[in-house]
Amino acid sequence: MRTYEVMVILDPDLEERTVGPSLDTLLNVVRQDGGAVGKVDIWGRRRLAYEIERKHEGIYAVIDLTSTPEAVAELDRQLNLNEAVLRTKVLRTDVD
Amino acid sequence: MGRNTRREPPSPPSKAALRKPKKKANPLISAKVAHVDYKDVALLRKFISDRGKIRARRVTGVTVQQQREIATAIKNAREMALLPYSTAQR
Repeated sequence: MRTYEVMVILDPDLEERTVGPSLDTLLNVVRQDGGAVGKVDIWGRRRLAYEIERKHEGIYAVIDLTSTPEAVAELDRQLNLNEAVLRTKVLRTDVD
Repeated sequence: MGRNTRREPPSPPSKAALRKPKKKANPLISAKVAHVDYKDVALLRKFISDRGKIRARRVTGVTVQQQREIATAIKNAREMALLPYSTAQR
């Protein structure tokens, strides 16, 4: 088990209220594998430094989790398949 | 030939050419940052130029290890559109 930090940029056209629950369902991949989801920090709408998919804004979310590498890889894959996700970044937080 | 045509004596070599570069205060120590986080945009902005380029170590005055950490953090922040890759429009 390793600790990870996942950052996700979501489509700004989404309702900000629905972001939390929909992220939570995506995070079930980690839970089913025996991992634990820590803090889910939704920053809200933020201006992008450059355009991504013709959008100038994005909804940022940062998720801390403990999981196996396989489950995180699967989570990342599923996030990128999701139409509402503009970009993701997975970083390990237990290495410095 | 009037007295105004007399030349000035050659000036001594300028002080600027001889002066050793002043040691800069390490900005990371003064900011009390142990680990550079790519999400800390306000901190990272201090290490990029107006055009969005990463400032050289001789400008920033940090250690080699810190400069590497800063550079990685800036590159991660760029990927997540927190910082610009370049601002060439000018």
